[in-house]
Amino acid sequence: MGKKLSAKSPATKPVVKQEMKQKPARQQATQASKKEGTMERVGIVGYCQIKPSLDLQMDRYEAAFKAVRGALDSANLKRKDLTSVISATNDYYDGRTISNCFTVEPSGSYLKDESKVEMDGAYAVLYGMMRVLSGNHKLVAVWGGSMASGFPYEVTTLLTTDPTFDRTKELLNIMTAGGFQMRAYMEKFGISAEDIANIAVKNRKNAANNEFALPESQDADITVEKVLESGVLSSPVTELMYSRPCDGMACVLLAPEKQALKITNSPVWITGVGYSQEQYYLGERDLSKSLSMENAAKMAFKTAGITNPKKEIDVAELFEHFAHEELILSNAIGISEPGSQSEIPVNPSGGAMSGNVLCATGLVRIIECAKQIKNEAKDHQISGAKRALASGQIGFCAQNNILYVLEGGEK
Amino acid sequence: MAGRQVAIGGAGFSAHASKRSDVNMPELVHEAVEDCLKNANCDINSIDSIVFGNMPSFEGVNYPELWMTDEIGARNKPLLRVTTGGTTGGSIGIAGYYNVTAGLPGIDTVLVIGFEQQSCGDTSIGLASVAYAEVSAYTKFGWSMEKNSKFFGAGAAIGIASYQAINYIKRSGATEEDLARVVVQNRHNAAKTWWTHLKMPDLTIEEILDTPYISYPLRYGMVTPASDGACAMLFTTEEKAKDFTDVPVYVNGVSSVSNENAAMGYAGSGTGQLDPCEQIGAVESAKLAYSQAGISFPEKEIDYIEVYSPFPNQELQWLERLGLFEENTAHLRYRDGTTAPNGELPVNCSGGVNSTNAIGASGLERIAESALQIMGKASNQVPRTVHTAIGHSWGGTINLVTLMVMSDQQKRKWKGGE
Repeated sequence: MGKKLSAKSPATKPVVKQEMKQKPARQQATQASKKEGTMERVGIVGYCQIKPSLDLQMDRYEAAFKAVRGALDSANLKRKDLTSVISATNDYYDGRTISNCFTVEPSGSYLKDESKVEMDGAYAVLYGMMRVLSGNHKLVAVWGGSMASGFPYEVTTLLTTDPTFDRTKELLNIMTAGGFQMRAYMEKFGISAEDIANIAVKNRKNAANNEFALPESQDADITVEKVLESGVLSSPVTELMYSRPCDGMACVLLAPEKQALKITNSPVWITGVGYSQEQYYLGERDLSKSLSMENAAKMAFKTAGITNPKKEIDVAELFEHFAHEELILSNAIGISEPGSQSEIPVNPSGGAMSGNVLCATGLVRIIECAKQIKNEAKDHQISGAKRALASGQIGFCAQNNILYVLEGGEK
Repeated sequence: MAGRQVAIGGAGFSAHASKRSDVNMPELVHEAVEDCLKNANCDINSIDSIVFGNMPSFEGVNYPELWMTDEIGARNKPLLRVTTGGTTGGSIGIAGYYNVTAGLPGIDTVLVIGFEQQSCGDTSIGLASVAYAEVSAYTKFGWSMEKNSKFFGAGAAIGIASYQAINYIKRSGATEEDLARVVVQNRHNAAKTWWTHLKMPDLTIEEILDTPYISYPLRYGMVTPASDGACAMLFTTEEKAKDFTDVPVYVNGVSSVSNENAAMGYAGSGTGQLDPCEQIGAVESAKLAYSQAGISFPEKEIDYIEVYSPFPNQELQWLERLGLFEENTAHLRYRDGTTAPNGELPVNCSGGVNSTNAIGASGLERIAESALQIMGKASNQVPRTVHTAIGHSWGGTINLVTLMVMSDQQKRKWKGGE
């Protein structure tokens, strides 16, 4: 089943993966004790996604409860086993300040060491990971999400801008920034809107195979023409090239190596992480590339001991706010040549396009990688996926990026 | 698996005032960053990563750290944003600790930045948004808008504080004079610290008791100001700390325990029936942080305390819950001068949150001032040598309490975790 569907994915090159299989030596080396310059691995021992929806029929507390409870259930654990809970929510998205104080009980953080990362969920995983690596915590729940049906996302992005010079003119917002970025990329590498539309087609087709995709994003029969002819959001970005925000929640459980092996026989290991921020003013940035992702990838590959990502990575799940960002980010990570698509499968789940749950999109990318590695991705499984990349971002034109390296491994 | 020993290399502040209209937000934050780097004898190139936080809705900028990238030196550096409301300062301090102790390759020295420019927004409106989601529900149930606006007034910080104060007074037998005494000590201390907001060297108890009530038993003269200001701190490894300071301060225990969301009891969460000055979260937080730091007798082993107390009754309450004074006796310790800078257990020699409150920075300022007392570099330095100190903060709907235990000695023993 997996083979058939992976062949459907336009970015799949089975040849690369066969090469991977012939290299068990390298994998064993990673699982050996911590090497100089790398980090101790952290285990993902459970996860849960609430299926995204344009209007989820539950409130945020119920969704948070279901996500955290679902993750604990998936690992056969109880609330008392948790030592820390990290949330990823945004006060502007939730429409109330200190939004985490209302989720204490539903998210299981009552009398637990609790904190909140107000960024994408992937950064909350970073903080959870740091707490695990500190030795203070044995089981950390990281959850995040938002209810896009309850707030005007495009307006809240306006609040991210410089209030004196940018916000007053209202010319710069998430859409126009995306338009600038796509134009810059197309002109730099001489590619057409069709090439970008192809990415949207691929992701929306992939989403059709993903049971946890936003139903509105699933389209097995989508064509390039349909993408290009959907309404213009900000020229040249069209509606179907945009990862539309929606409602949802997600949760992962993190544990230190020893503890993770007690909980499950097959944890997914976080073996590398990198994150970086670049400057704010778009005019100071080369929008055709992503400097912050280049830095993040450098750090992530260094921590994971990866030298040739094109050969060593089997699958990548990237947070692309717009279709063209998938190309820019894969270029920056180094899994594709500048101006072209990646040779390894990117976003078999459909990526952020399959459901952009703000504050959880990066977290879901990590969960999707974990599924691929554990062979649990069902209809969108890439066969033989052993090592995966997951990314998260915030800001206009992906100003701050984070990249994870995840690996499987025997007991 | 055990984390690395973490040390504090330095701290810096911007000047605090009611309205810092001479600077915009990035410039205000930049002042603190510059001051911190200067005090730690280094430049931005020594910084490997940044932790940033503020109270999000007060200035109306979402993700302000993106906009002020260059002013905080975050260009091409890893950055993590942590916010937990009033505890944000404490939470980013703890996040700074975790950034260092985790030992990610290439991340040794972390700059932690918290700020608030409350003059750019309206704090009460910001705090009212804690309750906004309930507005529609209440109006549906037939509440008038007039009732709603009163509800907001009570639901903001002063409302919760007055519930606490009444409960505390009932429990302990403290009087209004006792509350005023706490304020006088704080404002006198603030006058001796360079960066603070309400400097009142000649304030008397009578003057405070002469001001009108805002919400019984809290008077105008007792409440925290709304300040503009920023604070920055440098957390680093044991080895590198010596490059930044002669007396490194070691972080030996951190905790941020959340109690139930008692004030609202919203959506079936929490009982809404708690005594707001009982504070199980603070008791648990103290237990956790002290056990990490190997402290068994906090009242004897801790030499200096910075507690987060916008209102004077809270200062008394926290000192008891954190195990520093016997239950219901804290106000007596203020009467006999134990908590004065030259007393046995000095409290809030920076003037505390009662004198200066730039919310996103306040919790971090508690940690910073405690660290400076250990280093011997505080503006209002206590005469006795400080070996062990704590920095505390609280927030949310009085439900989250953060605590950091600092010492001039490395961690003696380590409980919990692997």
